[in-house]
Amino acid sequence: MKFMGHAISILRKDILLEIRGRESLSLMLFLSLLLLVIFNFALDIDIDNVSSLASGILWVIFVFSGILGMGRTSMAERDEEAYLSIVFSPVSAESFYIGKVLSNLLFLLIMECFTLLFFAILFDFEKIISLLPQLLPALFLGTLGFSLVGTLFSFLTSASRYGEVLLPFLYLPVVVPVILGGVTSMDIILNDKVGGADKWIQLLAVFDVLYFAISLILFRYIIEE
Amino acid sequence: MKTNRVITILFFLLLVLIPLDFFLIFKVAPTEKVMGDVQRIFYLHVSIASGALLAFTGVFLSSILFLWTKKIAWDIAACTSAEIGVLLSTLVLITGSIWARPVWNVWWTWDPRLLTTLILWFIYVGYFLLRSGIADKFRKAQYSAVIGIIGFIDIPIVRYATKWWKSIHPLLTQNGGGLNPVMKKVMLFSITTFVVITIFLFFFRFRLARIEERLQILKKKMED
Repeated sequence: MKFMGHAISILRKDILLEIRGRESLSLMLFLSLLLLVIFNFALDIDIDNVSSLASGILWVIFVFSGILGMGRTSMAERDEEAYLSIVFSPVSAESFYIGKVLSNLLFLLIMECFTLLFFAILFDFEKIISLLPQLLPALFLGTLGFSLVGTLFSFLTSASRYGEVLLPFLYLPVVVPVILGGVTSMDIILNDKVGGADKWIQLLAVFDVLYFAISLILFRYIIEE
Repeated sequence: MKTNRVITILFFLLLVLIPLDFFLIFKVAPTEKVMGDVQRIFYLHVSIASGALLAFTGVFLSSILFLWTKKIAWDIAACTSAEIGVLLSTLVLITGSIWARPVWNVWWTWDPRLLTTLILWFIYVGYFLLRSGIADKFRKAQYSAVIGIIGFIDIPIVRYATKWWKSIHPLLTQNGGGLNPVMKKVMLFSITTFVVITIFLFFFRFRLARIEERLQILKKKMED
């Protein structure tokens, strides 16, 4: 119980920091809105092709805005070695990791809801909102996968002199299975395609468990000096 | 000095193995009926891929051993293996493309195996990007070990996911049936040769990296 209590404290700290500083979530929201506008020009989205393009566009936006947000939260920890005060406190590395995963997950989910809402408004695609209950499992599990790997990798790259710039290079190849699962299952649901969306959702759950186990073991080595 | 002896033995072994391997590939192996002579690149392609796989397994094991023992020699071993792995996987991608153009009529196809190799390549290029960005030796070793482990474990996951993804779409290509017995023997010989090349490169580069490290320590001592 103490273990989760510590993780919740870290989550609370991050929420508080976000409310006071507005450093990561506002950037994520702004970037996702901007990307929606860019995609509109790049792909010439209209009522006929919006359904087939939606899942690809949305997941690209989730990935890039997510990278930006997760990079920011880790840099905040690295600033003046702030994370060391947590390392030296009785909080275990595992609690620290879970706390950071939860805060990243929360910010990513808020960004995704915002993006979905604006996607529906800007491209006149209300179907995506009405299908939200079906989309939710894939969205949640995909985002959890992003957050599990992203938390580990953003901490890793923030120690490098390239900082956040390095994050996509390391992070994107590793999360390819999650992106694949998210895009494909969303595409199947939005376009009533045959081929099991639920199979992909199960697969995403398996990936999440694997990434969770690996990252939980390895996170200790990133924060220990 | 034990390493030196291994390198010398492997070097002389390769002096025999490499010419023999090329002789077998170009003179002994029969010409494939449908693909013709271009199929011969396959012996090299598969063998290089085996070498690359061996090298990446080396990165994975050395990374685990580094995190366990904290001995910097394991980090040098991991980095050396990764260098060889990146080199060989680049060659795998290039030879694969050269083979695919006349046979499949495309340079590239989004086949799960190709996609997995490309992603593997990206992960280990990222490994070097990370290494180049961290000055502290121990921290660099620790962080790259994390990438070395997660990158290797991720590969079967990527493979499985892409295979699953492709199963929805029609498969563009299907590999032909079994190999002719002579072809099989040549293939096995070629794989053995490239495994020896990989091991040779590893020891050679490992020794160089150790010398570099020793030199740096001496330089530092002189400065102090």
